Order: sequence, then C-alpha cells, then structure tokens
Amino acid sequence: MGTYILRRLLIGMFTLFLITLIVYGLIRNMPGTPVTQMELADPTRALSPEDQEMLNRIYGLDKPWHIAYFTWLGNTLQGNFGDSFSEKAPVSAVIKRRIGPTLLLSVTSLFLTYSLAIPMGLFSVVRKGRPEEQILSITLYVLYSIPRFVAGIGLLIIFYQHLGWLPPGLHSSNYETLSHWGKFLDTAKHMILPVICCTYASLAYMSRFVKANMEEVIRQDYIRTARAKGVSPRKIVFNHAFRNTLIPFVTLLGLSLPGLLGGSIIIEQIFNWPGMGQAFFQSIANRDYPVIMGMVLLFSSLTLLGQLIADLLYAVVDPRVTLR
Amino acid sequence: MNETQEKSRSYWAETWIRFRRRRLAMAALGYILFLSLVAIFSPMIAGTKPIICKYRGHIYFPCLGYFNPSWENAVFIEDNIVCAYPRRLKEEDPESWAIFPLVFNDTTYRVRENDMPGRPANPYGTSGHPSLQNPCGTNVYGYDVFAMLIHGTRTALLVGFVSTGLAAMIGITMGALAGYFGGWIDILISRFIEVVLCVPTLVMILAAVAVIEKPNIWYVMAIIGLTSWPGIARLTRGEFIKLKQSEYVSAARSLGASQPRIIFRHILPNALAPVLVPITFSIAAAILLESSLSFLGISTSTSSISWGTILNDGHRNLSMWWLTFFPGMLIFMTVLAYNLIGEALQEVTDPRQRGSR
Repeated sequence: MGTYILRRLLIGMFTLFLITLIVYGLIRNMPGTPVTQMELADPTRALSPEDQEMLNRIYGLDKPWHIAYFTWLGNTLQGNFGDSFSEKAPVSAVIKRRIGPTLLLSVTSLFLTYSLAIPMGLFSVVRKGRPEEQILSITLYVLYSIPRFVAGIGLLIIFYQHLGWLPPGLHSSNYETLSHWGKFLDTAKHMILPVICCTYASLAYMSRFVKANMEEVIRQDYIRTARAKGVSPRKIVFNHAFRNTLIPFVTLLGLSLPGLLGGSIIIEQIFNWPGMGQAFFQSIANRDYPVIMGMVLLFSSLTLLGQLIADLLYAVVDPRVTLR
Repeated sequence: MNETQEKSRSYWAETWIRFRRRRLAMAALGYILFLSLVAIFSPMIAGTKPIICKYRGHIYFPCLGYFNPSWENAVFIEDNIVCAYPRRLKEEDPESWAIFPLVFNDTTYRVRENDMPGRPANPYGTSGHPSLQNPCGTNVYGYDVFAMLIHGTRTALLVGFVSTGLAAMIGITMGALAGYFGGWIDILISRFIEVVLCVPTLVMILAAVAVIEKPNIWYVMAIIGLTSWPGIARLTRGEFIKLKQSEYVSAARSLGASQPRIIFRHILPNALAPVLVPITFSIAAAILLESSLSFLGISTSTSSISWGTILNDGHRNLSMWWLTFFPGMLIFMTVLAYNLIGEALQEVTDPRQRGSR
C-alpha cells in the first residue's frame, strides 16, 4: 500500500510537470501579453516603449518561454506562486478570495444532489415499472439533457427579468449596510438560481447512477438468497442491496473533487458569480500568466489527487481489491 | 433437418433489429436525419440569395454562396446585386427571373424595406418579437433568428460529426496501441491521456485559436476532437486488454497472423461495439462544447453562425426571450436525441441484456 501511494505520487508529480509545461508553452505563445492586454482594456494608459520594456523585464516576458517556465517552477516549488498582473496581488490571495463563493455553490449543490439523488434512485428501483417511477425517470432524463447555460439564462429570464425576485451576482449593492441576518438572506437569495443550475443535471445523473447500480446489485445471488429466506422487500433494498451500491459512489466522490473547487466557468459567467471559474476565464482574457498557472496547477493536482483518493478508497471499501 | 439452413445474421444486423424496436431511439434517429436534411438544404429554406435564377441569359445558383462565398458567381458582386437580389435583379435585367428561399431573411444583415418588393423592413432593437415575417424574431441588429438557426444547424451537425470522428480515430488508435502492446507503450500513452484530461480545454482552444492565422470553424472542430479522445482511448484500451487474451486471438497468432492483422481484423471489430456508445455521447458533448464556447464569446469567426452565439445575445438581452428559447430548444433536442441514441446502443450492444428483449 505504502509503495503504491509513493509510486502514484511520483508519477503524479511527473504528470503535473508535463501539464504545467504544456500550459505554460501554450499561454506564452498566445498573441498579446499582460502588458498589451492592459492597454487594450484601457487605451488611455498606453505605455512608452521604455516602460513596456521595463514591465516586460519585471514580469520575465523578455525571456523565452521555456526559460521563464523554469523560473516559475523554481518559485512555485518554494511556495511562491507569483503576483497577478491585473489585480496587483499575490496569486494565492486571488485564489483565496475567489474560492469562497465557488465552495458556497459547489458544496451546497453537492449536498443537495446526494441527499435528493439517493432517495430518488431507491424510489425508482422499488417502484420499478409503475407510472410514478416512469414519470420521474422521464423527467430526470429530460433534465439531464438540458444544457446548463440554456437553463441558466431561462431561469434568469423568468426569475430576474420578469418576476424580479432573484438577481444575479453574489450580493446586492447595499450588502454592507445589512444586519447579519439580512446578509445571510441576501446571499441565500442570490444563491438560489446558480445552485439550481449546478444541481439539476448532476441530480439527474446521480439518481440514474444509483438506480443502475441498484439494478446491478439486485440481480446478484445473495439478494435472491435473502428473498428466498423471507426478508421483507424493504429490508432487502436498504440493508442488503443499498450498502453494496456504495462502492462506486466512493469513486464518484473522489472524481468530483476538482469540480468542487474549480467552479464552473459557464454558470459563474451567466450569474456573474465571482468564483474560481470566472477568475480563470478573466485571467485567460487578461493573459494573467501567474493566475492561469496557479489555477491550472490547482485544478490538475486536484484531478490527480481525486483519482488517487478514489482508487485508495475503493481498495478500502471493497476487500476484493488489492493495490500493488 | 432443414436442408437450406438460413445463414445466421451478422452481429450488426442483429443489433440493428434490436435497435429498431426502440421507438424513442428511432424517433431520435429520425430527428437527427431531419436535422441533417435541414443542414444540407439550409440555403433553400432561409436566405436572401435566389435558389436558382436566370440573369442575362445564364442560369445561376447564388444560394450556394451560403456554403462557400466563392460559389456565388462574381457577376452578382460586380453588378452590385448581392445587396438586394429581388430588386436589383429586375433593375439590371428586366427579363430575369428567380426562385427565392422559403423564408426571405439573412443571417448577416438586416433586410431593409423593399429589398423584396412590398416587404417591410425587419424590426431591430428589442422590438423584434417573433412574427410571420420573422418566425423566431430578430436580434438587436435586425438579423433574422430563424435564418441563423437554420444555418447554424450546419455548424452544430458538422461539429458533432467531424470532431467526434477525429476523437474516435485518435482515441481508438491510442487505446488499441496501449491495450495491445502494454508495457512501456501503455505507460506512455496512459500518462499522455492523463495530461490531456488535465489541461483545461479552454486554454487549449484559446491558445490554438490564437496561434492560427485565420481561425474558422474547422479549427474549432479539430481542437474539440484533439481534446476529447481520452475517454474513448481508455475504453478501447480496456477492451483490447480483455480481448487480446481471448482464445481466438491466440488462435490467430498461432496461425501466423501479423500484428496489424490481429489488431485491425480480429480485435478491433469486436472492441468496436462498446466503444460506439461513448462515441455517440461525445457527439452530444462536442455540440454542447461548441455552443458553450460560442456562448462564452470565444467565437473564432463571424462567417459561421452557431446556436451558441444567439444564446450569447440572449444572455445580454434578457428581455428578448426568443433569443434564448429557440436556440436553447434546438440544442436541448439535439443533445437529447444523441443521448437517446447512445442509451439505446448501450442497451442493444450489452451482451448481458441480449436475448432479454
């Protein structure tokens, strides 16, 4: 087990090195630099050639990208992720500021998804073939196919444009003047639409996943044995079958780790939500290399870590699996 | 027994028979075929260029200009007819005649008054509600949404087929190599898959678009294809690992079959069925990805209209619900159709469920 983890970690390090190298090469070869993008956004701040050169030197843009990459790598290994060009703040501070709103959405949505999907999936298995089950299945299937950006704009049109109830953004403009309770209500009000948008598709996916796993397990011999010895159907579903469907869940939880912190660019753009996805999108538009690199490093290490955790947990919950 | 023993049906014929029994999946397949017809005949359904016209004694097909601008005869540009075909054709050559598309509207400009004699101008600003003249309304500039949707069908379907075709080719090759040879080739390819999975698609696409001189929709398709193969590769790899140990492969090997022959003639056809399912799903994913890219405004060119671009307009003008509703419905139905087809394929190719229906 120990050597397995060590080997996976070493391979992961190498993969991370490759990913960051490729991304660095790609972003440095996009036309435009942070300096020119700044000018594009605000032409009044046009810089003289000398100033530009100075900025280029400060940011390391005068060096070829493969040399600049190793400078970045060296700094990063010492825990220094650099400073954001456009926000004039350390990358870690930018990420720290953006991660809260993203977690607010993703954790709420994850909690809602699991607490709704499991009962729904079990319901469909128990009531299989009945009209109520078919209605639920069809609804979930349709929900699963609605693109999130379509649903997002649709929700905005209904609940913001026409009814005026649920505004986009994180807070109202008078947020600072509100009491604690008022602040809570204000945030909650702003959260409703994005949370719905994050939840509905994964809810549909998850409950189908629960249902498929249950159907797989219910075909097993030990369920037939339980049925034969006269265990009640309810007890079979909860005690015998459901526990054994938890194994694939563990994998899924591990794989959802990057999405938890990464946020969704689309949803955050639609609802003007100041989270990680939006920050990432903006940093690409601004050619804010240190922020892009910091976020790519975070996302990809989380992806690899999530895979590792999923594999490890799998071995923990399923005694038939041994890792070597 | 029977002398004329019927030849047993092939695997794919068998699969097709089972697929055909699923009404929903067949309806979805019908919808995709219908959409393909719309895409092929889009210039004849909506446009301002005549399908066929006679001008100065020659027959022309100016509507082909919607497929490729150079297919529109230069004479129309020289005589300055392109701006308003119905009016200008008659002015230049009273003898001329022309047959126009079903809906006289354009995707790239606002139809003005008397472009077509007696036809009022398109509304613009936020007042372009759906009407008889503009079945799905107009955007703020007065361009017809129906025409954009019809012509956008081309982009959506092409993206689905081309990028997934590319992804399937790369994915199957990579997966086959990794699964069949194992060892360090497997390690190398598996690392590569991991890297591609982790590099954000947005960074790849923006960087690639930025590097290319004149980006167009074909590059977007290529890039979507180049980033979406890992799933297919993983599955193919698994199938190959499983199948290379089977007896019929050992038999082929002991008969002296070459490695390419074993890979392509013996293993690949048997590994293809399970791989077909994720391929169908990735067509849906590619269409979604393209429309979300154009929704985010990472549009690579103005010449190809995408459903996502209209949605982007809809997001900026929330009061114009028709800019969201119609393209949203189209994307939803197309994605749903591919999902239904994929689902049905999964069930009819799954050996555990065979014979049950």
